[in-house]
Amino acid sequence: MVNTKDKIFQAAIHVFFIAVVLMCLMPFVLLLTTSFTSEASIVKEGYSLVPSEWSLDAYKFLWSDAENITRSYGITIFVTLIGTFVGLSISALLSYPMSRSDMPMKKQLAFYVFFTMLFNGGLVPTYIIYTQVFDMKNSLLALIIPGLLTNGFFVLIMRTFFQNSIPHAIIESASIDGAGEFKIFFKMILPLSLPILATIGLMQTIGYWNDWFNGLIYITDSKLFSLQNLLNRILLNAQFIQNNASTLNAGEVANAQIPLETVRMAMAVIGVVPLLCAYPFFQKYFVKGLVIGAVKG
Amino acid sequence: MATTASTATAKPAEQQTEVRRAQNPVLKRLKRYAPLFIMIIPGVIYLFINNYLPMLGLIIAFKDVNFAKGILASDWIGFKNFEYLFKTEDAWIITRNTLLYNISFIILNLIIAVGIAILLNEVKKKVAARFYQSIVLIPYLISMVIVGYLVLAMLSGETGFINKQILPLFGIDPISWYSEPKYWPVILVIVNVWKNVGYLCIIYLAAIIGIDPEYYEAATIDGAGKWRQITQITIPLIAPVITIMTLLQIGRIFYSDFGLFYQVPLNTGELLSTTNVVDTYVYRALINLGDIGMSSAAGLYQSVVGFVLVLLSNYIVSKRNRDNALF
Amino acid sequence: MRKRTNGIVAMLLTVMLVLAACGGNSGGSASNAGATNAAGGETGGASELKPYEMTVAFLSIGNTKDLAEVQAEVNKITQAKINATVKFLPIDIGAWQQQMNLMLAGNEPLDILVTGTGLNFGTQAAKGQLVEMDDLLAKYGQDIQKVVGEDVIKAGSSNGKIYALPSVRDWAADYGLVMRQDIVDKHKIDVNAIKTLDDLTAVFQTIKDNEPGMAAVLPEGPSFSVIQSMVGSVIDPLGDENGVLVGFDGELKVVNWYETPEYASLVKKAREWYNAGFIPKDVSTNQTTSEQLIKANKAFAFMAHMKPGYESKESLLTGTPLVAARISPAISTTSSIANIMFGIARNSEDPERAMMFLNLLYSDADLVNLIDYGIKGKHYEVKDGNIIGFPAGVDSSSSTYNPTHGWMWGNQLLSHIWEGDNADLWTKLDEFNKSAVKSKALGFSFTADPVKTEVAAVQNVKEQFKIGLENGTLDPDKYLPEYIAKLKSAGMDKIVAEKQKQLDEWAAANK
Repeated sequence: MVNTKDKIFQAAIHVFFIAVVLMCLMPFVLLLTTSFTSEASIVKEGYSLVPSEWSLDAYKFLWSDAENITRSYGITIFVTLIGTFVGLSISALLSYPMSRSDMPMKKQLAFYVFFTMLFNGGLVPTYIIYTQVFDMKNSLLALIIPGLLTNGFFVLIMRTFFQNSIPHAIIESASIDGAGEFKIFFKMILPLSLPILATIGLMQTIGYWNDWFNGLIYITDSKLFSLQNLLNRILLNAQFIQNNASTLNAGEVANAQIPLETVRMAMAVIGVVPLLCAYPFFQKYFVKGLVIGAVKG
Repeated sequence: MATTASTATAKPAEQQTEVRRAQNPVLKRLKRYAPLFIMIIPGVIYLFINNYLPMLGLIIAFKDVNFAKGILASDWIGFKNFEYLFKTEDAWIITRNTLLYNISFIILNLIIAVGIAILLNEVKKKVAARFYQSIVLIPYLISMVIVGYLVLAMLSGETGFINKQILPLFGIDPISWYSEPKYWPVILVIVNVWKNVGYLCIIYLAAIIGIDPEYYEAATIDGAGKWRQITQITIPLIAPVITIMTLLQIGRIFYSDFGLFYQVPLNTGELLSTTNVVDTYVYRALINLGDIGMSSAAGLYQSVVGFVLVLLSNYIVSKRNRDNALF
Repeated sequence: MRKRTNGIVAMLLTVMLVLAACGGNSGGSASNAGATNAAGGETGGASELKPYEMTVAFLSIGNTKDLAEVQAEVNKITQAKINATVKFLPIDIGAWQQQMNLMLAGNEPLDILVTGTGLNFGTQAAKGQLVEMDDLLAKYGQDIQKVVGEDVIKAGSSNGKIYALPSVRDWAADYGLVMRQDIVDKHKIDVNAIKTLDDLTAVFQTIKDNEPGMAAVLPEGPSFSVIQSMVGSVIDPLGDENGVLVGFDGELKVVNWYETPEYASLVKKAREWYNAGFIPKDVSTNQTTSEQLIKANKAFAFMAHMKPGYESKESLLTGTPLVAARISPAISTTSSIANIMFGIARNSEDPERAMMFLNLLYSDADLVNLIDYGIKGKHYEVKDGNIIGFPAGVDSSSSTYNPTHGWMWGNQLLSHIWEGDNADLWTKLDEFNKSAVKSKALGFSFTADPVKTEVAAVQNVKEQFKIGLENGTLDPDKYLPEYIAKLKSAGMDKIVAEKQKQLDEWAAANK
């Protein structure tokens, strides 16, 4: 009896999620097919799941810049790995003490963190501080540190998790057993918090992977362009040339014949696919958090 | 249910012991908490450099900046940089749009994301659950510019999927979506939910996974059905996360996703009555002026409104449950 | 209560601790800022023969892989002539606005930059980010003054002082319709008979009747309007179209353009074309360039502002021969000149040397060719007289220096001509510039700063109505009065009055 009810419930959930998957996946499939469509058929018929003419032109165009794109992949991967690791560490270290109900000044600390989410001095002062005080222009640090390393949102979310999913009693008992704060943090708190670490880690990864803004303002050396920054620049340049073709000389017009619509989609594809491949790594930690009971026992 | 109730009352008891401990001499207390203070140093310093130092730049909002004189030496002009935000007939429309959109985003995103997270947690087949999880995140990874093009593929007057495939099924004439402002509140809300729910869902899912399975075991023994488990265990236990997420979003209620309101309607003038929000208004106002005083004035205005609202809501939350408050 | 004070003290303590920790850094920041101001104040004292490296930021459009080699060659010339070396700083168009704003706000080495009406020139000049040039020009820029001419050079002025120098290129535009030659021939359309907008209506009707599936007319490109490419033949926009001069030989009377009968008749024409089905229904959401739509057989023609050789270039882009009907003479205004200019940055430690380099850009053909086309024999080869092309075995995809930016660098008329264009291109262009109808206000440029609140509000109103009215998607009977009313309440009259005031002052100073 319970079993059949359960089966119906499971079946209903699957039906629901298949609908959700379709809604999320269809636009992505459209994006994918568009990137393999010939530019001419897009101009003629608009986007279509079954275009009248397939083409690899968009990818050929990107391939012609393969050297730069490969290097920019390398930069993005490096920046993402370092940034996620360091940022996650900083966020966890800051949010754990805030979560402790016995921590002095925790409300003030929370306010200190939260205030940064509301007010910001704007781009110009930030830029001046990072370039003139810390001399980060045209360095890899500029892709890692400004803005992205940690933020109030991550810290406050983590604090709430520590507060709610880690029973204070286990901290008490460990500290009675003579464990120092650092030992408690690294040996107990972190292993117990894998789901939230994975969540924030994933968000950091997405943030670093998709960031083009730091590159846009701090980097002029093309050797240091990250993937999204490079793609963004290629696209905007191509757009500019196409819109201003009449200012060019006749011999230069060939440059203006770029399959822009499809290139835009192909760029989205090569930007998103690696992230999707990285996702299972984070998912692995989504189930391991269920050990609180074990520790308590 | 007895289990939930007892853990909830366990907390105040703990706090009492802490209060007693707090009466110890200051030095001893400092020593006791020194490791915790060391832990927060990197984060505190980072936020100081990355966020607090640049805040000195807020003075730009009150200055007529002249770089030849330098920012500090430029003339003070009071609130002149703020005037353009209010000196237009549209000020009311923009404020209304920004607030209404954000309120509906906060509510809908919350309900849908929590709903999906709960259902994801119920899926028994792990492979399927993982698959669903990754697919739901895809929309978040696609940039708004691209989303704008995909929406156009759906809504385009001549070649759009909706006009060509869907509407004829119901015998409705094609609609020229990009010249009818009345449809856009719905379109933008759908796009926003579609794009962001996957991301929010992960946070709630992490919270649900963190719930001690003992609660559910006890509930099952008590004979509680799925629905009761969800409403009486899951939701109360992730309530702190829900509260904090909502408070954080209220703080940014006067900001809006520029891409959503500018790229997705393709900057179409006819739609401005329902798509213009503070960020797009400021962007359009300053396209040709590029005045940094005026842009920081807009930012400051948005921050102050959010700040006031968040203080208010935090006060209300802390009246009801001190632990759930932001600070 | 006591608890709260404790909290505040503790908070202050933390902040002070943190401050102490970063004390070295923030102190550094302050002293740096001090140094900036000092350096800004007392430049130009250095001996003129001292070696100097100047940074030149330019819009990077095409392929500049071999820029380092070109730079080395450029430096041979500049070292010999002005004992300076040049460091080129190419910045992509997508990053330009942000990076230039920030570089000019900070204190980075930067001597010369590209600027222009669309590149924030007005703000840069008003905010003190550019060096005032009048004295420098008189001392070190004689060649520039000679080549550019007294009237035109004023296009780069703000508040009566010169802050930037226009490059020598097309300083005027003529306006009209660019059509597909094959369709024109098919329906025996007499291009020379097209003189007015009403003549265009007849042409469009022919297309509409005989070429199903083909739009009769498109705007110049996405986010343009059909009318926009005609407006320049009717008014001098005085920069931003907020307050304009109607006609080119009348008195200097600034009016609100959108209130004029001329504007009303233009948008009524657009509405007529839209209702007749000449303009495609989805014109306002179209994201595809007009050239591509023509190439795909979706359109017959587009409106355009043109210059000599325009059709032949566009023909290459559309892949089909085009023919143009010009319905206005060439017209020259401050806006058409001030599009692309060079300015000297406030950051420059030696503005005099920067001016000397600029002077070379308007007088030294070797230098201009080097920057425009690269190294002779490696990046280009002389084909015939002044005509050049890629060396054997090189094409546009394998070329290592093909920056496509001749229009940016000083005197383009000094450069070679790329094959495919006519050998007399520069002569034609020079004649075109000289014969153009010149606006009475040529050389006047508006400083928006005193009315920036109104400009900001007005811009939003324009974004809401302008393109819709000018493409005919909005009914002018209903929306034009609404547009005008909203412009007025946003402060258009105040802008017009301010512009009139500045124009009168300018006219008095230039008597």
